[in-house]
Amino acid sequence: MSLLLGVVCVPPAVRATDADVAVAWEYLGRHLANDALGALQKSGAPDSREAALAEAVVRIDLQPVTDAGLRKVEAQLSELARGRDEIAAAAAYLTGRLYQVHFFTPDPVRAAQIYAQLADKSPASFWAQLGLVKLMLLRLYVLPEAGDPAARVAAAGALLPRVTQPELQRDALIVLGRGRLFHGQPVAGVLADLLAADRIGGLTGLRRVELQLQIAELSRREKLWEQARVYFERYLAENEVDGRMATVKAKLAEIAAAQRAEGPSS
Amino acid sequence: MRRGKFRLMLAVFAAGYLVALWWVFTRSAPLVSARPVTIRFAHWQIEKGPPDGIRAVIRRYEELNPRVKVEQVEVPGPVYRQWVRTNLTGGTATDLMEFAYWLQGMNDVPVRYFEPLTAAMSETNPYNRGTPMEKVPWRQTFADGLYEMISQSPEIGQVYGATLSQGSSRLFCNRELLKKITGSAAPPVTLADFRTLCAQVDDYARRTGVVLRPLAGSYSNAQWLADFVMFGTLTGMSLELDREGYLARWPWQAQSDYLLGRWNYRRPEVKAGFAMLREFTQQMRPGFSQLSRDDALQEFVRGAALFIYSGTYDATSLKRLAPFPVQAMRLPQPTKDDPVVGPYVVGPYKDGYLGTSFELYLNKHSPHKAEALDFLRFLTSVEGGQLFMDHSGWLSSVRGVKVPPEMEIYRGSMDGHSAGPQYMGVGPYSTMAFWQHLNLLVGPQGSVDKFVEALENGMRKQVTEDARVQIRTDLEAIRAVDTEIAAMNALNRLQAPDPARALRQHALASNQTVAEINEGQAAWVLQRHGYRQP
Repeated sequence: MSLLLGVVCVPPAVRATDADVAVAWEYLGRHLANDALGALQKSGAPDSREAALAEAVVRIDLQPVTDAGLRKVEAQLSELARGRDEIAAAAAYLTGRLYQVHFFTPDPVRAAQIYAQLADKSPASFWAQLGLVKLMLLRLYVLPEAGDPAARVAAAGALLPRVTQPELQRDALIVLGRGRLFHGQPVAGVLADLLAADRIGGLTGLRRVELQLQIAELSRREKLWEQARVYFERYLAENEVDGRMATVKAKLAEIAAAQRAEGPSS
Repeated sequence: MRRGKFRLMLAVFAAGYLVALWWVFTRSAPLVSARPVTIRFAHWQIEKGPPDGIRAVIRRYEELNPRVKVEQVEVPGPVYRQWVRTNLTGGTATDLMEFAYWLQGMNDVPVRYFEPLTAAMSETNPYNRGTPMEKVPWRQTFADGLYEMISQSPEIGQVYGATLSQGSSRLFCNRELLKKITGSAAPPVTLADFRTLCAQVDDYARRTGVVLRPLAGSYSNAQWLADFVMFGTLTGMSLELDREGYLARWPWQAQSDYLLGRWNYRRPEVKAGFAMLREFTQQMRPGFSQLSRDDALQEFVRGAALFIYSGTYDATSLKRLAPFPVQAMRLPQPTKDDPVVGPYVVGPYKDGYLGTSFELYLNKHSPHKAEALDFLRFLTSVEGGQLFMDHSGWLSSVRGVKVPPEMEIYRGSMDGHSAGPQYMGVGPYSTMAFWQHLNLLVGPQGSVDKFVEALENGMRKQVTEDARVQIRTDLEAIRAVDTEIAAMNALNRLQAPDPARALRQHALASNQTVAEINEGQAAWVLQRHGYRQP
């Protein structure tokens, strides 16, 4: 009798619809991991790749985060990464992120391997391209075998042609330019990267301000007066409120004086 | 006769009843609240002024929104950090809360607990209808376009709050006393004038036997004075250290610079700044470093100090409490001919805070998020800003608010260099060491050399700890962004593609990458230059 009652009372298997999963992602986008988990569990266990990916990401964000919990997430993501779709690429990328920044003891070598494999498997995917940018960071600052600073910059630079999505290519150029500067490489190379990033465009706010100022000031130090002037003036034209305006005006006066001193050919 | 009296009484009773009915239905508060929604708003600005300003805004808002009741929760500053953490963790936090990026050990809070306002900030503020700000996006209606808040956001580019006020540090003067001592109420124009005035005060006190100091003293007031002195003196050093070309230096960069040996407290410009700080603090009463901000305020209002150097957030308290006219003025900046710091002065430097402050954040777990956001919009509208300013005496953060001439001086100036930190510590550990040793500089037996040697002994360890804290908190914010990027990408896969969402996904990825460059460089310095791993 009780068995019969149990059979009668079991709700029919409910498939987590895309709408349910979308609700969960909406919550995740606002770091409401408990609500996201609730949305996923409301309609039963995850029974689609979309739902499984959402649940894995929930567990990355759900407090308290523990290494043991993250190991379970890694297993879920590794399973998802076996496919060849967008979800597989996202899962592989996130596995790399677990090793790069989430585990209490990171494993940058493992992260680098995952990003490299992902870039070979799905080169055009957003996740593979973003993984290449993260791989550049690892080569510049973290991986033990990357060599001396010049070798690190070269190893990171070798990845640049493979980053083809404009926004990520711009970010990769900034990563490379700033890496060159940090590792004491010639400023001409730094400027070439930053100018290429600026040509791609799309930066707003403080990030745009900083790129403009960096190009302007590094150009001034290289005595590229005209380029420095153009970027400083662009900064002044676009910024009503920034603490550096007075310094920029002083730099522009210095440039004007230098140009006058060098004569009309400068 | 009796019947007539009875009728009169009945008429009076009926009239009274009708008046009572009219009153109940039109004027008085109902027995059961007609306001189904109550939102609460917590802050630590419990000086004289701000609570009055906020009360005035609430009164007007409740007139406009009969459904909503707004409660102001005033929390004392010393316990605010713990209060915020406990209530957010326990799910009992208020709907709106004051927060600031500089609250130590709280970098994870905005991302975890506050609702991003980036999208709302790009829309107009409906409460600005009929004002010059009507068609201006909400973010641009703030005097600094929220630049300061965004530049400090743990998630680069994300707007997490709105600001209510702006201000600066100013020299507040007892005008009557100034006239009595100098024969004129004219403020000092140069630093030389100020030094002369300090000598006149000492002379006056000696001659008359009154207890009087040039500057009211406390630990906090000395801190603000130190900010002023060190910022101006070390602008040149910040620009020299700026290898990246940002024309600025941030504390996290100054940490790496220190560990790489690019600067230390023995540099001549740093020692010159300390010499000036010692000179200034000697104008305060002995033992000032053991005194609180309230002690300094009382010293000033009872006429025992000619000036008090303080934030404009104390202006209302000073004006309401002092039995004499108080005048706010700028402290003259050192110039290139200054005998103490002159050789290191690059030029005029920023005088006051350029950014707006009194930051208010929306609790993402609030049950009344829409109403709280609506109140925040009103609070930071032209009307709300005007009410706040008129009743608090604090400068509003909102453009288009009419500022009385006597408050114009509270604004920060944009016509000076602003290149970096004050180097009085570059993180929590080094800052604590700086202030713990300050007595070796400002005490009666103190000296610049004693102070510097004490600081340098152990500073490497403190800065290493600072860098480790910085890396740890940066990583917390970096990790959190992975979830958001995945969410934006998934939503564009599951729903109709939304260009705004795609843009956000790229902005998140881009900003996260820049944060990782900074973190990677800081970790490199720690690992490759003989410091412990983060």
